[in-house]
This record gives sequence, structure tokens and C-alpha cells, in this order.
Amino acid sequence: MKAAAFDYARPDTIAEACALIAGDHDAKLMAGGQSLGPMLNLRLAQPSLLVDITRIKDLARIEERDDAVTFGAIVTHAAIEDRRIADPTHGFLSRVARGIAYRAVRTRGTIGGSLAHADPAADWVSTLTALGAEIFLTGPDGAQRRVGMKDFIHGAMSTALEPGEILDGVRIPRFSASARFGFEKICRKTGEFAEAMGVAVHDPERGVCRVVAGAGGGRPVAIEASRGAGARLLDRFNDAAAVRDMLIEAGVTGDDYKMRLQVAAVRRAVAELAAR
Amino acid sequence: MTHITIEVNGKPVTADVTPRTHLADFLREHLLLTGTHIGCEHGVCGACTVEIDGEIARSCITFAVACDGARVRTIESFDDDPLMARMRDAFSTSHALQCGYCTPGMLIAARDLVRRKAAEPGLDIRTEMSGNLCRCTGYAGIIEAIETVTAEAPAVPALAGYRWVGPAPGPGAATTQPTKAPVPTAARPVTPAAPKAAPPAVASRPIKVEVGAITVVDGETRFTESFVLEHSRAAVWDLMRDPQKVAACMPGLALDPPAANDHLTGRMEVKLGPISAGFSGEGAMSRDDAGHHMMIEGRGSDRKSGSRASGRVEYVLSETATGGGGAGTRVDCVIAFTLQGPLAQFGRSDLVRDLVARIGEAFARNVDMRLRAPEGAVVAPAELGGFSLVLGVLLGRLRRLLLRLLGR
Repeated sequence: MKAAAFDYARPDTIAEACALIAGDHDAKLMAGGQSLGPMLNLRLAQPSLLVDITRIKDLARIEERDDAVTFGAIVTHAAIEDRRIADPTHGFLSRVARGIAYRAVRTRGTIGGSLAHADPAADWVSTLTALGAEIFLTGPDGAQRRVGMKDFIHGAMSTALEPGEILDGVRIPRFSASARFGFEKICRKTGEFAEAMGVAVHDPERGVCRVVAGAGGGRPVAIEASRGAGARLLDRFNDAAAVRDMLIEAGVTGDDYKMRLQVAAVRRAVAELAAR
Repeated sequence: MTHITIEVNGKPVTADVTPRTHLADFLREHLLLTGTHIGCEHGVCGACTVEIDGEIARSCITFAVACDGARVRTIESFDDDPLMARMRDAFSTSHALQCGYCTPGMLIAARDLVRRKAAEPGLDIRTEMSGNLCRCTGYAGIIEAIETVTAEAPAVPALAGYRWVGPAPGPGAATTQPTKAPVPTAARPVTPAAPKAAPPAVASRPIKVEVGAITVVDGETRFTESFVLEHSRAAVWDLMRDPQKVAACMPGLALDPPAANDHLTGRMEVKLGPISAGFSGEGAMSRDDAGHHMMIEGRGSDRKSGSRASGRVEYVLSETATGGGGAGTRVDCVIAFTLQGPLAQFGRSDLVRDLVARIGEAFARNVDMRLRAPEGAVVAPAELGGFSLVLGVLLGRLRRLLLRLLGR
């Protein structure tokens, strides 16, 4: 199908983009359009105005700090996959990026677009929750705020974004050289949306250990160890029955089949981490 | 119409396009470059793959206006490309095509793969090529052809040193005119953003909602939902026996003033991410005051998409003790609904569950808030644009068709 008619605007600055969406609550921001495009073509989404943010220079910024790297919202999955930009995880982001959909989608799909779209099965939604990333939001009055991933994702396609607000960047903490990571997603076909996703992160130096079960239909569920207890938490993933209980207690839901997928995904992620 | 300038196969092209025209249609219909094929037209099959500023992209989900200032390369311009020539020969030798429909996209994606990764040890061609579908060959010939070319370690054309890290072409592109103000294509009233609701007289508090297993029988989705309110059954029933009050607690639902013979009319607004729908419809209710039992049935249609929905909600109230030991009321609901039309092409119950739980929670919180409000106090109406059951299906159905092959 063809998209229904819409108006088109291509602002040069974040402020102009905010003003455009603040003035029309049927307006929709579009970055790479790799999730929105199909919805437009199928006429599931029929915005009055499409605001193309891919010409806003600030949204492609890469800010390197001692403790974190900030990516602008329109950095593509392909740029991360190709390691054309700084990677605070020593290659883990690239490894996740190369499994997102297909290359022809990754060249246009963006990290910020994926997060704002907040599909539970999206790779960045689970991965950045596990990495403890923070989201930068800018409002129509120029006001900026910073929201942790945990508070940013409210549920399936629902986020902390207020009307007129734009997601302008993602701050990802730097991990130490001894940090280890694991990632697993289970898909019916390569590149399709995941049915279950597991992400494991352990950085003893920074005292971070998180295991995330994602793609469960709602917000990702994180299991976190307190400082120094990381190895102990990871040990608990040896026993499938115990993992199942742990996930249920943490809020993962689903029928028997779905639970088995979730258990398998997090256990494989932890196993990959352990093998590194 | 928007004026754009695109370099297509090395030649500058200027044109006026409607914003909704995607790049594949622009190439085929405006420039008659019909080598770019359109298969699924929603980014799943890969037949429409072209290059934009040297990177492969799906031209059916990239709008032509977004390519203003970009360099686009289609299958027609690879005749003199040595790597593509080798790939074409290999496709021919390995019988990597039958009907040829997927071939233009397949060749462009295969050449790009070799360009980027020919030197990579353990290259998994099947995974890398999974974004291009072929319904004839079973892929064996295609994989063999790409393996052959990869094994020859061909010289690959390099991309420019500096590359924009966002979607091409980025702010550096030479465009004919800036498109800052919206270019109107249709007369549409500008809808102001909804005003923020006044703070409610009573703060809402979280209430746990249990959602049972979701089953789909003959196209009808069914599930149960239950929650406990810290109010007497008489008080809860006084609210929940009245459809107007129930509707006021339901996010997105607005009923018309009551009519005779229990006939209900109203609208259900649903919004989830970029999807929004407004179902207008009618319904009826039957109520058993002695049994604290209510059934509401309804059906409606969404003018925008032409989809139809029907459903029923049945609930019964029973007395129970609350966690604090006080008098409480347990509300058990059975909900069933069917969706037909364009929006019904999709369906996945795991997402429905999350939504259903959240709608149920919002509803239970609103009921609780109203019951705690002092006599005569103004309680802010349930927030519009929240989630609805219908939406849950919408989203679920959406996924099955659209997102099955698109994961990201």
C-alpha cells in the first residue's frame, strides 16, 4: 500500500523540530523511518505532518567523555556496526548492531528512532537497559532532561517522551577493559523481531552486573547484582528452573513456551559472557 | 508538492513530488527506472534495494523527499561495475534466479556484502543475505554464487573517507531549497496539543491487576482480568453499575449521554506510538443488581482505517478481605473482542498482555481515585490517548504481518 498524504518538514535545528511537533499533535518525528515507514505504507500510522530530523547536525554528534560516550539520536545502526564511531563497550555495541534487522535497514535505522519507537523487541531497548544508558530529551522551550533507560521505557511503544519533546541523544557509560558482555535473541527468522532476548553485562571494576530479559511484550526486565555480588548472580543462571523462578519474580510473564524462550535467551547471554 | 534534486545513476534529476511518494515509486513512475522492483512495499522482501550515498537501502520505505540532495544508484547503473559484472556471471552460472523478481535487489545486496565483508573470515552469507527474499530458488544457487565471488577475493570499490553517521544524505547534501516550513499537500486543520489535565483532587495509587492467559478462538481474543479495591462492594457497584461512570474511568473511552433502553453510543480513542485510531460505535448493557453482575457489548468502526471492532466486557463483584484486613471488593472481568478489516491483519498475544494489564491498571486506579474523592469533588477524567484493548489487538496484529520480517 501507499502511505496516506502527509505534509513534510525538514528542520535544521532541534528547536525548529520541537516547535513543529509542539504545534500539531498529529505530527510525527521521523529519523531513518525504518519502523515508521512500514506503518505509514500500511496506513496504520496517518500523521498530518512528518518532521524529518535527519538533517539536524546536532543529532549526529558523538561526545566522548572519560566516563561515557553520548550518541546523537540519528546515529545509524550501520555506523555503530562498522565501528565508525567511539564504542564505550569495546565492541559489544557493534556486535549487537550487526544483528539488527538487515543491512539495508541498518543503514537508515537510527538508535534514537528505535528507542523513541520503543518496540519491546527492539535490540537497543534491551541492550541499553542492560548497559544502564541514559536518554537526553529536549522540550519545546529548550528545556533538557536526562532519564535513565529504566524510567524511559514505560511499556510497549510507550515512553517518557512528553508531547513536543524530542529524544536528542543517548549517553552510554564507559566500561572497563575487563568488562564482559553477552547477547542472545531468539527469532523465527533471522532479522525479524525477536521473540525473546537476553543481555548480560558484568564489569567488576565498575561494580556493574545486570541481566536483562527483553522482547517479552512489555518493558524489559532487569536483574541487577549489588556491587561485588556479580559473580554470585551469574552463577545462579546455571540452573534453568531457578532462572525461570527468578524471571517470574522479576516480572517476566508469558505462557510455558514463551517462558522457555526467555529462560533460554538469558542463559545463553550469560553463557556467552562467561565464555569470554 | 515538494521540489527535490536527486542524483540518480550519475545524472541530476529535479522533480516535484508529493511527500508520500516513496523512492521506489519515484524511480519507477517518474524516471521509468523499472529495474527496481516492488515486492512487499513495507520493507520486508528486499526487492526494492538500491544504493543511497553508497549504502544499500530499502527504497519502498524511504521517501523521495528524504533523499533530496542524495546520490541514488539503481540496478540500471551497474553495467560497467566490475564487481557487479562478476556477480552477474556467478548468478548465471549458479542458477541463482528463476523468475528474476528478487534479482535486482539480490544483486545489489550481494555486491554490497562482498564489498564490505569479502575479507571477513567465517562470513555467514545466509545470515547476511536474510533481508532479501527469493521464492523460486531455495537460495542454494544464490549462496553458491556469492561464495564463488567472495572466494575470488575481488578488488572492492571503497567508499569516501568521511561518512555522515546518520541516514543519508545528511545536512551536507546540496539541496535546491530548505524545507523548513511544512509543505502542505492537503488542507488539514492544525490540531493544537491537548492541554494538560488539571491535577486530580485525589492522588492515584497503584493497584495490582492480574491478567489471565489470552486465548484466541475463532478470531475472538479472550482473557480474564481481576483486581481488588479497598472499598465496600456497595460503593464499587454504585460506580460500576453505571456505564457513564465506568466509561469515565476507562482511558480513551467517551460515551454519549444516556439514552433509553440501555442503548449506548460513544467513541473509543486509541493511540499507541505512531498508530492512532478512533472507533465510533454503539452497544448495549445488561445488569443484574442482585448478583453484582454486568455485561456490556459493543461494536464500532475506525473511519481512518476502515477497521471494525466488536467486543464484550463482563464483570462480577465479590466481597473479599484486603491485605490490611479491611473490607474489599474483588472485580473479576471476562473480556472478549474481535477485530476486522485492515487493522486485523496482525496479531500477537504477548504484547496484548502487557497492554491489557496497563489498561486494567489505569482503569482500577481511576475507579479507586473516584471512590476516594470527597463528595462533590471534581475528579480529573481518565486520561485520553491511553491504551485500549482494541489497541492491544491492533498492535499485536500489526506485528505479525509487518514486523515478522523486520526485527530491529
